[in-house]
Amino acid sequence: MCGDATNWDEDAYRESILKEREIRTRTVFRTVWAPSQNPNPDAIVVASSDGSLASYSISSCISKLRYGFNNTRSQHFLVAEPQFFLQGHDGPAYDIKFYGHGEDTLLLSCGDDGRIRGWRWKEFTNSDVPIPLQGNQVKPVLDLANPQHKGPWGALSPIPENNSIDVNMKGGSIFSASGDSCAYCWDVETGKIKTVFKGHSDYLHCIVARNTANQVITGSEDGTARIWDCKSGKCIQVIDPAENTKLKGFFSCVSCIALDGSESWLACGRGRSLSIWNLPASECVSRISTRASVQDVLFEDNQILAVGAEPLLSRFAINGAVLSQIQCAPLSAFSVSIHPSGVTAVGGYGGLVDAISEFGSHLCTFRCKCV
Amino acid sequence: MEDGEIDEGAMVVDDEDAQSAVQLKIERSAHEMLQESKASVEDTVAKILSIKKEGQPKSLVRELVTQMFLHFITLRQANRSILLEEDRVKAETERAKAPVDFTTLQLHNLMYEKNHYVKAIKACKDFRSKYPDIELVSEEEFFRDAPEDIKGKTLSKDSRHDLMLKRLHFELFQRKELCKLHEKLELQKKKLLDAIANRKKFLSSLPSHLKSLKKASLPVQNQLGVLHTKKLKQHHLAELLPPPLYVIYSEFLAQKEAFCENMDLEIVGSLKDAQAFARQQANKDTGISTNVESSRLEDDAPDEEDDGQRRRKRPKRVPSKENLDQEGLYQVHPLKTILHIYDDEVSDLKSAKLITLKFEYLLKLNAVCVGIEGSHDGSENNILCNLFPDDAGIELPHQAAKLAVGDALTFDEKRTSRPYKWAQHLAGIDFLPEMSPLLTSHGAPSGETAKSDAVISGLSLYRQQNRIQTVVQRIRSRKKAQLALVAQLDLLMKLRWPAVTCESVPWALHNPVCNLHGWSTVGHQSIQALSLPVVETEQVRESIDADMNGRSGTSKEELESAREDGELPSLVPSASVTGDVKLNRLKGSNHEHSRQLTLISKSLVPPISKTKSQSFKKPDDDLDLMLDTDSDQDGPAYIELESENTATQYYEMGEKSWVNYGAKEFCLVLTRNMDTDQRIWKLEAKVNLHILKMLPVDQENYILSHQVCYLAMLFDYFVDESSPSSEKRRGISVVDVGLSKPVSGRLLARSFRGRDRRKMISWKDTECNSGYPY
Repeated sequence: MCGDATNWDEDAYRESILKEREIRTRTVFRTVWAPSQNPNPDAIVVASSDGSLASYSISSCISKLRYGFNNTRSQHFLVAEPQFFLQGHDGPAYDIKFYGHGEDTLLLSCGDDGRIRGWRWKEFTNSDVPIPLQGNQVKPVLDLANPQHKGPWGALSPIPENNSIDVNMKGGSIFSASGDSCAYCWDVETGKIKTVFKGHSDYLHCIVARNTANQVITGSEDGTARIWDCKSGKCIQVIDPAENTKLKGFFSCVSCIALDGSESWLACGRGRSLSIWNLPASECVSRISTRASVQDVLFEDNQILAVGAEPLLSRFAINGAVLSQIQCAPLSAFSVSIHPSGVTAVGGYGGLVDAISEFGSHLCTFRCKCV
Repeated sequence: MEDGEIDEGAMVVDDEDAQSAVQLKIERSAHEMLQESKASVEDTVAKILSIKKEGQPKSLVRELVTQMFLHFITLRQANRSILLEEDRVKAETERAKAPVDFTTLQLHNLMYEKNHYVKAIKACKDFRSKYPDIELVSEEEFFRDAPEDIKGKTLSKDSRHDLMLKRLHFELFQRKELCKLHEKLELQKKKLLDAIANRKKFLSSLPSHLKSLKKASLPVQNQLGVLHTKKLKQHHLAELLPPPLYVIYSEFLAQKEAFCENMDLEIVGSLKDAQAFARQQANKDTGISTNVESSRLEDDAPDEEDDGQRRRKRPKRVPSKENLDQEGLYQVHPLKTILHIYDDEVSDLKSAKLITLKFEYLLKLNAVCVGIEGSHDGSENNILCNLFPDDAGIELPHQAAKLAVGDALTFDEKRTSRPYKWAQHLAGIDFLPEMSPLLTSHGAPSGETAKSDAVISGLSLYRQQNRIQTVVQRIRSRKKAQLALVAQLDLLMKLRWPAVTCESVPWALHNPVCNLHGWSTVGHQSIQALSLPVVETEQVRESIDADMNGRSGTSKEELESAREDGELPSLVPSASVTGDVKLNRLKGSNHEHSRQLTLISKSLVPPISKTKSQSFKKPDDDLDLMLDTDSDQDGPAYIELESENTATQYYEMGEKSWVNYGAKEFCLVLTRNMDTDQRIWKLEAKVNLHILKMLPVDQENYILSHQVCYLAMLFDYFVDESSPSSEKRRGISVVDVGLSKPVSGRLLARSFRGRDRRKMISWKDTECNSGYPY
């Protein structure tokens, strides 16, 4: 509090109110389970709309839960303190990936400032700098900036944002889905662009690497998904989930795509529908229509987890049957991620992260704290 | 003479001596003879005895006897001569005695005469005059001052006596003069006394004259704004105020005079009651008899009696109702302080009165309550609530008071004046001594100094912290904000666009194409919906589904979430949903308001209405009149709710309840003959948060207007952009007219950005365009 009549500090009060609002209106764009030897899910890395990357410990969040705290129904979510904190980007941070194994694991992130940055993961896990000072403590080992387009008289366009990244560890490349309607393939060693995938007519939302076939798949605002060959940089196939549907007048983007473990099934979220494709056969297997637009999708074995602009985590079978729907905390979820042990993390609006156990119960729900 | 006589006697004695000397010689010889004879007698006897003893012959004794006889004869002779001598001496003594007697007699006569004279002298000497004690002026003074006719006269031959007489005469003369003077003075005195009496009479009549004059002058004073009389009266009243109110009064007055603050203070209440109360207090606390008090407040002696009655009545009442009835608990001090706050921006001479506050003191609870004079609004409309964070005034400020209240944890809801914490701070209850100033003024014991030190330091801290200033500023800004808000709400109620004067923001210049279709309060239905506990999510679903079906599948909802409002769990959605479903049916427009369902909607069939729920946190702070869709919870609703929900929720509520206190929710319906496909997602952050950052400070009170305009503008853009074809990305090529050839390179314009598809609007000069950059 900022005092009362005896010691009133109006500016501080104003500040605190705005800060509280800010925390409440933040969005978590990506939650990723951190790699660890521990088979139980613990550290979760969160990228949020203030450009911060932060890691939270699920176990410590659980221990802080009050007795009898009813997660799903209460509005007062636990405000969690991060384990480490990093001001990764100017503007929102959109995606996080881990690159490499063991000691050399890199934490890659991309964001609205059009950069891809990489940090050594072990520097975070071993860091003992106090949290409020961590903002810019660790220097990135990798810093890639999107190219700008030339306009008339050499005017440069704004740097396009990176909405999504994926990696090919064997090839040493990073794929980024950029706001200038191109996808780029970066070489990790040199930090140069190896390939430019050009062809979408509007900006890209998502990108997924199909490493077994040396392909990448992108989803765009123009409503299509494309499969690209990495070697040639040519578009192999245009997937239009909206084709053959009667919703002609309506238009929406491909906001998320996912591949299953065998990389032969593709889930593609377009607007308020989710379509499942068999890649070898290049045909749409099923089409699921959802109440709200799909914003992230994920394969778990033979099932599909999807979240969207409603506080629900849906589980579908490949044939499109709804298996379950679990209420989750964020009113609009932008990220779903699954730990090998089966624990799902859903992140979204309000800076909220909801960890849901493999049995569908809420492990804990917390609000990311602004540092 | 005597000497001569004595001499004569002596001579006589001498003669006799001579004779007697002869005599003595004879006599002596006679005596000697006697002595010798006796001795020889004794010898002889001794010899005889020895002879007898020795038995000597008697012949020897004869001889001895003769001898003895001889000796006897001598003895007789000696004896005769001695006797003769004696007779002769006697005769001579007789002769000598006569002259001695004569002289002695003469002496006695003389002594007697002498004594007589001495006595006479003494009697003369002891004679006292008739006026022995008269204090006369000293001789020098007499000679100096006495008039000639007294000095010149000769009254006696004796000079001293004459002088004395003259002095006496002078004294007499003088005294007579003085007597005359005295009489004169007496006369004068009497005259003066008369004059004094006259004037006294005049003086005693003067106060009533003055009073009437004062009365007559009151209208003039009012006219001229010199409120002298009133001030005096107020000061007199102020002395009787309870200490907390006194602190408020004095500090506000000081603030007003020192900084020319635009406010007014007055004390209202019955003077007599206050005096009676003070007296009663004094009796109770110290046991001093009333006379001290009454000497202080002597002006209403007749009141004493009925005061006594009252005193007797009161203690009777208290024990009769053991369970502290509300009446007694909320007993209020008879005096109250009233504070008028005026607008500080002086537009004209008579600046508008903003608000009038009434401070009163609860005796039992030792708390100061504040209310808005003349307003009996419910607490939700009370702008004093939450003037500072977490201060809704429903909780008593002191632990002790809470204990006194007992079970009833909260302050009486129905009272319009509440014990806000800031009021306690203003009253300085944190440093006030236990005793009232009335008591400390007389009979100050030793511990008093330390206490008063504490008070002084407390007061200085009080001033350092600018408590008065802070509170006044807060109240002013709050009130202005309220006025502004009411004006804006009125406009919206009439479905007119609120005016936004600030030029530096885009939405001020935007001319909304859409119509304000509806503006209604959402909150009040919430009370009836409160009892729905767990199932409401299902209900929500169902109602929506019903809606969907009812619209024959083609139309879908435009949903706008009541997300965010992080304060109230679960009951809000239920409440608002029920309310809204009703509305839906009534209007036939498919607007929905729910927390569970976030947004996204499509529709092909016009008309479509879009709901944006607006709300603001009024009691929280005018500064955060932010657009967050929170709920209307007024006091009673809260209580119901708490009783129904589980303990954990109760806990949660208690934590944050002050934030929502009195918050209201409104529902805004914007219509346009178009449809939209949009996420209004980011909008919230933008409208809530960033709008505050964009606005200059002086526009703070008009946040609601800004928000509405902003929303309208955004709505227009969303509607405009929603047709599918318009989603195409547009590139611009530029042709250089001078060189008549196209310039190489092009820039793309985009309307959306990021994973969350935030809409981009660029603002050039006076209008906004969708997308960037051009």
